[in-house]
Amino acid sequence: MNSKVNTGALRGIDGYLVTVEADVSRGLPASNIVGLGGAAVKESIERIKAAVENSEFQYPLKRVVLNLIPADVRKEGSHYDLPMAVAVLMAAEQVRPADGMRDSALFGELTLAGEVTGIRGALPLVLCAVERGAKNIIVPEDNMGELDLIKGSNIFPVKTLRQAAEIIEGKEGAVAGQGGRKNQGGKEGTEGNDIEEPEDFKDIKGHENIKRAMVISAAGGHGILMVGTPGSGKTMLARRMPTIMPPMSYDEKIQVTKLYSVAGLLAEGKSIVEERPFRAPHHSITVPALVGGGRVPAPGEISLAHCGVLFLDEFTEFDKKVLDSIREPLEEGMIAVARKAGRVVFPSRVVLIAAANPCKCGYLGDPVRKCTCTQGEIASYAGRFSGPILDRIDMHIRVGSVKYEEIGSRGGTSSEMMKSAVMRARAVQERRYTGSRLYFNSQLSGKLLEEHCALDGKGERFMKDVYEKTPLSLRGYHRMLKVARTIADIEGEEGIRVEHLMEAFQYRMLKEYERKR
Amino acid sequence: MREDMTERGHIMEKVHMDREQYPELLRKISSPPETLYCIGELSCLSERCVAVVGSRKATPYGRNVAFRLGKRLAESGVTVVSGMAEGIDAEAHRGALEAGGRTIAVLGCGPDICYPKTNRELKDRIEREGLIISQFRPGTEPRPYHFPLRNRIISGISEAVVVVEAGMSSGSLITAESAAEQGRDVYAVPGNINSLSSAGTNRLIKDGALPLVTVDDILWDMKIGSKAEETGSQSLGEDEMELYGLLRKHGEMTIDEICDMLLEPAEKVNVLVTLMEMKGIVFTGLGRVFISV
Repeated sequence: MNSKVNTGALRGIDGYLVTVEADVSRGLPASNIVGLGGAAVKESIERIKAAVENSEFQYPLKRVVLNLIPADVRKEGSHYDLPMAVAVLMAAEQVRPADGMRDSALFGELTLAGEVTGIRGALPLVLCAVERGAKNIIVPEDNMGELDLIKGSNIFPVKTLRQAAEIIEGKEGAVAGQGGRKNQGGKEGTEGNDIEEPEDFKDIKGHENIKRAMVISAAGGHGILMVGTPGSGKTMLARRMPTIMPPMSYDEKIQVTKLYSVAGLLAEGKSIVEERPFRAPHHSITVPALVGGGRVPAPGEISLAHCGVLFLDEFTEFDKKVLDSIREPLEEGMIAVARKAGRVVFPSRVVLIAAANPCKCGYLGDPVRKCTCTQGEIASYAGRFSGPILDRIDMHIRVGSVKYEEIGSRGGTSSEMMKSAVMRARAVQERRYTGSRLYFNSQLSGKLLEEHCALDGKGERFMKDVYEKTPLSLRGYHRMLKVARTIADIEGEEGIRVEHLMEAFQYRMLKEYERKR
Repeated sequence: MREDMTERGHIMEKVHMDREQYPELLRKISSPPETLYCIGELSCLSERCVAVVGSRKATPYGRNVAFRLGKRLAESGVTVVSGMAEGIDAEAHRGALEAGGRTIAVLGCGPDICYPKTNRELKDRIEREGLIISQFRPGTEPRPYHFPLRNRIISGISEAVVVVEAGMSSGSLITAESAAEQGRDVYAVPGNINSLSSAGTNRLIKDGALPLVTVDDILWDMKIGSKAEETGSQSLGEDEMELYGLLRKHGEMTIDEICDMLLEPAEKVNVLVTLMEMKGIVFTGLGRVFISV
């Protein structure tokens, strides 16, 4: 006898359909798995045998062959345990599927005792099964949180192999209520992490200039470099960036949750990712960890920050190779990782925030503390903000330290006020870039840049003046235009006016690191 | 007397103490150097000289004052003397060159050697348009003990010495000391008392140096009429005037401080600052806005 059930496999953050075939025939008792199973899949036969025996079934004392279709793609992961066990039981006629349950899809890892435990990548796997028309999907109860958003199929959470078998047989009572989805408790899980006090920009006073810059950055997706003495509040500012970004759309939530699901980073009991991610990798990070990689490609930090903020503190301490590696994903909004197991694409549309000290000791330009660096040290430190890197971050801002008397003085602009400016500009951009692959002003280049950043006579004259009087590079020139475009969008202006350029001029390359005449 | 070509094609001359070109003021100091090795315009030596010195690690304020001072003095026909070090010294030379005036760089190494190397371009320009002098033979490498000797010459050939910015342990204080010994007028540019970069100059004022309150002070004292008028607050709009006034009062401000004072949002203030920066009235650096005229 043979049988078939559906499951899936992961490629990057997308799943594809895998069918598990089982054949039980007469012969010496032996079990084999064919179809390019990885190490975890090869081992699963032992788990399946024990789990089957411990769930009041008998593992057939016959010749058992399991096949994973398609047979030419390597399959990794432990979620094949449950579909393989069910396929064997169906082939051995110990489980008789009810009508309509034949095309079920199953995902889950088994313990020796016959329990079903959570898996990585549940969301993309289940999404793929739904897209391929699976009506009934059986998943580990542990993964229910992240599956909250899925519509259009019956999703059955299970805790044991026995439960899964009963659902396949159409026995009621195995789950509460028809159509499954008994786990509505996921909500409690999401609220769990809201206990900490919400951060708000209004807590930060006397930093109005950088706050304005952050509005522009969030609105147009412009990378921002903050240079300031230690303790001037750079991290504090960066942490609040997600609070001024618009809420994530349904598609964005799905994408981010998929990424976290694949990376195995969804906290237990926590459902979908609702808040924009904020990732702050340490400066000792390697290239694969930042942009993605591994034998089986996994998303890197830049992808985990997708739709959110990538914060690189101590920017000058990062390895040069590492910084070079983020250039392309920043510009393209995605990163392709090619490995033996195939080429996968991870999204990486982030707002980059970089922070650095102004010099080696950190106190260059501080009004109170003396900088102890030698002139040579300052020059070599400035060299680390080498042109090519500075040229790729749209905005550069010097952050002064907050003085104590400012705390509690004039009320700071709140996140809510800043957010409304961001939303305004995002709405304009959404309209403008509908039907193109662009999303943000910061992605403008070439023809589109010329088209959307056209200047009037006054603006032309001003830019000519700037180009002649200051050491502005051509890239810097384009950066200024893009930032001015975003400012115009925030102000609700159709065209870029000279005032917008003038404001953008103050967010250009930091003077002290420019080359002397 | 022998003429020599330097590697870069400039003529080097030895000026011995008994030659006519040997500066009169220098001859009168105690134990003057016997020979000066010179590259450039020897006639610079016969003009009235003022030294502008200060620390290598200068703040934007210091650099700006040095540049303006160099420019102003040169415009009024005074030769600007300095040590061609980074920071204040280099800015003073640049200011003088910008005005198309004369400047003398006194080196602590052979006149053919460029120290620091980063000032290569500046040195070339001074060789062409000004004068390089040194008491050290060509090929002499810079040594720490050369610099106090050089400082004696800087003050020795000058009528007055202005210390623009100096920390408590700056070499410029040695220049000021030797200037005082040689009977020269010593001016110090007052600075923010919180700023350690001005601690040395403020101390000099306390010890009796003349505070340089406006750039023209020194011209008055030398009885030189200023040939060019200070360009001031011409054609400024109302809000520009307001910002100009604020900066005059406070010296230097961050954008945030300006926002607080003018009660304007950052976007307005940034536009204003750019406007004035392009007019050359203010300049920005280290996150602060300074007056530049």
